[in-house]
Amino acid sequence: MTSVAHAKPAGGAHDAHHAPMSFWRKYIFSTDHKIIGIQFLFVSLFFLLVGGLLAMQIRWQLGFPGKPLPGGGILPESMVSGGVILPEYYIQLVTMHGTFMVFFAIMPLLVGVYANFLIPLKLGGHDMAFPRINMWSFWLALVAGLIMLSGFFMPDGAPRAGWTMYAPLSARPDLSGATISQKLWSISIVVLGLSSVMGSVNYITTVINHRAPGMTWFRMPLSVWALFITAILAVLALPVLQGAAIMLLFDQTIGTHFFDPGAGGQPLLWQHLFWFFGHPEVYILILPAMGMVSDIIANGSRKPIFGYHSMVFAIIGIAFLGWIVWGHHMFMSGMNPTLGSTFMVSTLLIAVPSAIKVFNWLGTMWRGNLRFHVPMLNAIGFVSMFTIGGLSGIFMAATPVDIPLHDTQFIVAHLHYVLFGGSLFALFAAIPYWYPKMFGRMMHEGIGKVHFWLTFVFYNMTFFPMHIIGMGGQMRRIYDPTIYDFLKPQQPLNEFISYSAFALFAVQFLFAFNFLWSLKFGKKASQNPWEDNGLEWSLPNPAPHGNWAPKTPNVYRGPYEFSAPEAGDKDYLPQYTKLPTDRDPVPAPLPATH
Amino acid sequence: MTTPAQPTTTHVRPNYMLIWLYLFVMTIAEVLLAFELPVSRNLKLILLLILAIWKALLVALFFMHLKFERWRLRLIFIVPLPLAAILVTAVIMEKVF
Amino acid sequence: MTHATQALDQMRPPHPAEPGSGVYSNKLGMWVFLASDVMFFTALIGSYIVLRFGMSSSWAQPAAVLNVPLTGLNTFLLICSSVAMVKAYAAIADGKKYFLRQVPGKTLQDGGLKFWLLITIICGAGFVGVQVFEYIKLVGHGFTPAGYREGSLLAEHALADPVKYGAGVAGMYGSAFFTMTGFHGFHVTCGVISMLYLYFTKVLPEKYSPQDYRGIEVIGLYWHFVDLVWIILFTIVYLI
Repeated sequence: MTSVAHAKPAGGAHDAHHAPMSFWRKYIFSTDHKIIGIQFLFVSLFFLLVGGLLAMQIRWQLGFPGKPLPGGGILPESMVSGGVILPEYYIQLVTMHGTFMVFFAIMPLLVGVYANFLIPLKLGGHDMAFPRINMWSFWLALVAGLIMLSGFFMPDGAPRAGWTMYAPLSARPDLSGATISQKLWSISIVVLGLSSVMGSVNYITTVINHRAPGMTWFRMPLSVWALFITAILAVLALPVLQGAAIMLLFDQTIGTHFFDPGAGGQPLLWQHLFWFFGHPEVYILILPAMGMVSDIIANGSRKPIFGYHSMVFAIIGIAFLGWIVWGHHMFMSGMNPTLGSTFMVSTLLIAVPSAIKVFNWLGTMWRGNLRFHVPMLNAIGFVSMFTIGGLSGIFMAATPVDIPLHDTQFIVAHLHYVLFGGSLFALFAAIPYWYPKMFGRMMHEGIGKVHFWLTFVFYNMTFFPMHIIGMGGQMRRIYDPTIYDFLKPQQPLNEFISYSAFALFAVQFLFAFNFLWSLKFGKKASQNPWEDNGLEWSLPNPAPHGNWAPKTPNVYRGPYEFSAPEAGDKDYLPQYTKLPTDRDPVPAPLPATH
Repeated sequence: MTTPAQPTTTHVRPNYMLIWLYLFVMTIAEVLLAFELPVSRNLKLILLLILAIWKALLVALFFMHLKFERWRLRLIFIVPLPLAAILVTAVIMEKVF
Repeated sequence: MTHATQALDQMRPPHPAEPGSGVYSNKLGMWVFLASDVMFFTALIGSYIVLRFGMSSSWAQPAAVLNVPLTGLNTFLLICSSVAMVKAYAAIADGKKYFLRQVPGKTLQDGGLKFWLLITIICGAGFVGVQVFEYIKLVGHGFTPAGYREGSLLAEHALADPVKYGAGVAGMYGSAFFTMTGFHGFHVTCGVISMLYLYFTKVLPEKYSPQDYRGIEVIGLYWHFVDLVWIILFTIVYLI
């Protein structure tokens, strides 16, 4: 693996300020935000693979119910009987696919990787505000992931109450059948929450206090704005989930009755607590993607982002409104109808800032000098897929429409359009984009383009028909749709979706191959291969330990000065380039240490 | 370590022992109120909550120095409070229903 | 110093950055963490409020089950520890790194950082001790997280007077009580351990100075927060 710590920085003294570190301190127990970001990247991609493998088994069962799973022989008899997936195992698959994808793949990929990697680089800092806490944040996340994974190897199998772990099913091992693994779920979530909160404290403090001279709030790139607002959401939402998970753990272990209706507990309390966390969580899963896509689209269009200020306020608006819409996950729970109406209104409102962002991306691309490099292709894919996902969200925001659609495949289609079509496409854009900064080489452009187009086609073939079968009444999380006569006519669509899903999964090996192969054999990257304006491109590739240390860059302008007349014959003008007409920013005095 | 350039907002240091006395007296008042005084249940509830919030404010403003910090810092502590209120209110509305 | 702290000091921007919050990063970070802790306690205390509010008529009277006077005393102990903490903070701000010093012309000795922080730790540890004692007593009487234990003293009382002892929903009371106060106690314990660590590694070797006492201020913020949460908890759980 290409080392990140050896390259000498562009000018002046480098890492002569400390003795050479051992392999363990440099790569394993590193406090360097870039290494930690890369550690998150490898671990999260692993969990993405785990989630994908679980999804393949789900699609097998839904597409071909009752047929033996190819390779199912390696699984124990408690999971597959004669090669056929058992219902008890199917519900574990569905639960753990959601859990791994949300908590251990997408969230760490967007936040753990890119908040860590980008924030100091894009703001001119040398590292995060609290490097050691950063290191702990990674290791806690890894431990949480391993605890969660161990659930599959427990005697009773993995948790199976859905990724949303509704009580009382999740609180009663005698009802769900999952004993130890359910408790491990709670412990894993508490540990992950700790990791998230520690990370978010770091991101927030770094963005507020560690910006280079000249990097005012409204000169920050949108990726940093989005990551900052996401960190605020995380720091306030995760603790609520931790509290709920602890209450669930206590219900299972020390005999409390929080969610047990027989003893006076309230099952709906779980739902409220979970979704009060859960809705800000989904904005945590999309906002960083939106931010990074904004940077990439501006770059690919060679134009400033259209409506930079409104983009910032839209991010803030989405985050703000995101706190008061959680009930739209509970329209069918039997909750107070007045509450239901309130949530309907707030949910419809939240479409507005999201739409502003979509129009601004289109406005950025309009009449731009478009460069269809791989990140740009994936970013445009993000915009279109996210729009579809957002539109289906509007359907469900209206409570009467949600009544037949709730807990059907329509919801599954919606969430996959925003999480895969949205967040994952944004990651397919961001990973190649900042790959040179991480590893000093470029990912292969040709493979990247083939991967994009095949993914885009198979993705839509997989998830668009889910809208249709959802409206046709196929429920979520059911083992065998064909037991219902009214669903039998839709079964060919289920098969079609499954075939498309298998193809989609297979295509991802192109990405994996590209990623791994390019580590050693990718084209060596020039300093600013995308001709971008961000501060990070003033450093060599890969970025050295300490970034600009002991110096700090000066910032002279905003992040989207593409096609600016002052730039002369170049169509970009980096934030760090000093023109003859620029004055050096005046540094602020350090805050007092008391 | 970094050399500080200027101290934080200069102000008169509060009399911490006096604040301690206030807190002591209010705690006694709360316990007495909970037990002895023959007031209606709702009034008791409101008074107890007021006393508790007042004590909490004393600790936050004086011990935690918030009275003398700039607004940006106060905002960090203030922001979770409406969120907490929203969650509790919504779930109470649920239970009432 | 460890390698990490060495690198940390040298990695701080030599040129000051944008003004930002105007307070040093450790303090800003602690305030952000405290905001997250507010949300954590919201989940727990909010659940208690919601559960109790929904069945206020059948809920037990706290005084019947819990030892309110003892806990009132314990509350006072925690408040004392909070005052001692802020006195410690004021002491180091004035440069008083010592333990006790005779002030000329006065009979009372003047306490420095070492004195006041020790008082804080003792009072904090005392609070935890009394809480543990209370827990043992409560479980002995039959009050457990699952409700009144069969055959215990409280269970008998509940049979005799179900209204006063909230017999039907004792399980809820037990659940909420032990979870909330337990996690608060956990926070206090973490605070005491952190202060002990700082006491031996930084305070006794006199590493803090009036120019830099960030660690004291930051741990002080955490400690006052824990006190603040208890003030709310005590009222809501023991008095109302």
